[in-house]
Amino acid sequence: MKIIDFLNTIIADANENEINDFLSVKEASIIAEIHKLWNEYKQNPVSGTAENQGDILVRKGEKEALAGNIDTGREVNNTGSDKDNIEKQLGTDDLKEPVNINEAEDIPLDIKINDASTIIIDMGIIQGGVKQEYNQKTREAAINKAFNKQIQSIHISLPNAKVNQEYNVEFDFEKLGIPEIGEIEFEGLGEIGLEYAAEEKRIKGMPTTAGDHKIKLLIKRKNWENGKRIFECNIILIINPDPRLLWNSIPTLTSISYYKPDSAEQFLEAGLNKVKFGKKCIVAASQRGRSHAHEGKPRDDDFAMFFDEQTGWYIMTVADGAGSAQFSRRGSQIACETVIEVCRVQLTAQDKDFDKHIENFYKEKEPKITEKRKMVGDSLYTIIGAAAFKAYKNIEKEAAGNNNPIKDYSTTLIISICKKFKFGWFVGAFWVGDGGIGIYDHKIQFLKVLGESDGGEYAGQTRFLTMPEVMQPNEIYRRLRFDIVKEDFTSVILMTDGITDPKFDTDANLNKIEKWNDLWADLSSEVNFDARNDETAGQLLKWLDFWSPGNHDDRTIAILY
Amino acid sequence: MRRLPVYLLLDTSGSMKGEPIESVKVGLQAMIASLRQDPFALESVYISIITFNREVKQIMPLTELENMQLPEIVTPESGPTHLGAALEILCQKVDTEVKLSTPEQKGDWMPLLFIMTDGKPSDLQKYNAMIPEIKKRHFAGIIACAAGIKADPKPLELLTHQVYSLDTTDSATFKQFFKWVSASVSVGNRSIGASDEIMLPPPPPEVHSVI
Repeated sequence: MKIIDFLNTIIADANENEINDFLSVKEASIIAEIHKLWNEYKQNPVSGTAENQGDILVRKGEKEALAGNIDTGREVNNTGSDKDNIEKQLGTDDLKEPVNINEAEDIPLDIKINDASTIIIDMGIIQGGVKQEYNQKTREAAINKAFNKQIQSIHISLPNAKVNQEYNVEFDFEKLGIPEIGEIEFEGLGEIGLEYAAEEKRIKGMPTTAGDHKIKLLIKRKNWENGKRIFECNIILIINPDPRLLWNSIPTLTSISYYKPDSAEQFLEAGLNKVKFGKKCIVAASQRGRSHAHEGKPRDDDFAMFFDEQTGWYIMTVADGAGSAQFSRRGSQIACETVIEVCRVQLTAQDKDFDKHIENFYKEKEPKITEKRKMVGDSLYTIIGAAAFKAYKNIEKEAAGNNNPIKDYSTTLIISICKKFKFGWFVGAFWVGDGGIGIYDHKIQFLKVLGESDGGEYAGQTRFLTMPEVMQPNEIYRRLRFDIVKEDFTSVILMTDGITDPKFDTDANLNKIEKWNDLWADLSSEVNFDARNDETAGQLLKWLDFWSPGNHDDRTIAILY
Repeated sequence: MRRLPVYLLLDTSGSMKGEPIESVKVGLQAMIASLRQDPFALESVYISIITFNREVKQIMPLTELENMQLPEIVTPESGPTHLGAALEILCQKVDTEVKLSTPEQKGDWMPLLFIMTDGKPSDLQKYNAMIPEIKKRHFAGIIACAAGIKADPKPLELLTHQVYSLDTTDSATFKQFFKWVSASVSVGNRSIGASDEIMLPPPPPEVHSVI
């Protein structure tokens, strides 16, 4: 049937617009011409043309060949130059498609989808075994093409996965909006630790390899049977690396100025063995953050502690050097050292008077917003207020001595002094910057946060001890806090923002007892607070390595307990 | 978790059609792949892409790096460069997408803005009107890139002192530029705890600083 091949050739070479234009002009006359020929034929079948005779020949010879593959069909159907033409088509157009070329289906036909129905209708008038079969195959090929085009036009995107994190997403092909899809399968999932669970319609598993992976979606049309074409569709699945495995830990060069070890821990027996000192001890630890370790940058946090056996005062302080300030590691260190030094001297000098003020304040009836309260506040101002101020002064001196701006030494500072009295524990505090300090009593579910965090509008913004506006008398006084609590409180905890950010998240949460309960439970799960020895400090340091996405700042904690 | 919002303003005017925009896509792709290798970026960076020609479109809202898939970027046959209108949309998006600290909410890192254009703003009046608005948005850094010979760095200099010129608009230069963007966004360059402008890594050799 050369006319069909002839039509195919025309259609294959032309584009859709050309065909449309052609038909809009010529369609009517073609139909009229075919009608005329058809009527002539019906009136006088024997006077058929040469094509008709050829056709009959083909029909006869074809009976056996049909059972075989289509190659034979081609031979029979296409003779002479037409055959070459078609093979040329096969070699180009059909191979372009990313499909499994299945010979049995690969009719030498390149029909534009829009035209497929027209062609089928045109051929529908031809009767007889071979033509029927041919039509079937042609039709199948046309549908396959249309189907493939449909598949290639849909954009399938899978949610990104992450190495070592359970992946479980729905993949329901019925939702792709192509009803002709009968069955699907994936190729390339196994290699990356995933599988397609057909009955659940889900892709799941534990991704193993990071990268942009090419996955093949294999699609079978409805009523698929062996030998029929399988369609393919490429999908990119992005698997993110496990961020935990990406962090480097580069030791800080000891040759840098103001070198400081990447971690530190300390246990101080303090008044542990003396009833009159309240039998408490201090433990603290400080760990360089992953974000610093990744770059080989030093730890900017610091802490210090002291117990005065003469007066019974416990002194603790933590400081967080600003990550952006180049010498902040020294700023935090100077601050902590100065605090201990000044508090020690001041507490010794004022011991008796200060004790008296505290006692008077305690004995006073409600309300305690009185002269007595102010006496305690004023004393506190001359002790830890002075310590903070002297810390500022010492940093200023260090900066000036090295011709650096004081800003380069920016640090936050939290100070606490505590002492056991007959009526309970006095806890005084000073706080500038972020982080947090609180008195926590697990048994009676008591919490007192001793101050407010200095947060800015954006993350990472805070106030520093080194800001002149903070070192004003009113500002220093405003940052003082104190309280008297029952003897058997659980702990007083001082933390830098490397801990408060992951554990409390927001400023509001810092005032929620539940969050402190969580923190204490978490701490207790790794730190044996009953042991009260050097090992406790080691455990605390280890605890500081906890994982929290996005929170990789230096971490420092000091606990009186 | 603290987010680091990164806004990319990309010129998709008619002149970007063809190789330039394809090069931008390749550069973006490489940038994202490289950021995915940075543990800080992977957990903090959120990217938004705004394209501008006659129309301004936020083709990708602020999206976590981990979950992002590069959207389709198309350019019209021809059309003006409405950078002013793009800045206006940007301000609206920053106002609604970037979170500020409140007692109940943790604020984002100060956002970063990268602008890439191969021309000059066609809507100059609006552009000039938007400059003070952009300044009010407290970007931690604004880096502008004037790509190709027709790009005019002058208007960009009103917006930021970090304006860089790229000689060509081919794949190699854009790749370098986006590599540099990703370096600016990475862990080492976040000033944790201060409000100063970010420290930029030195620009790649293809990039000329306009001072």
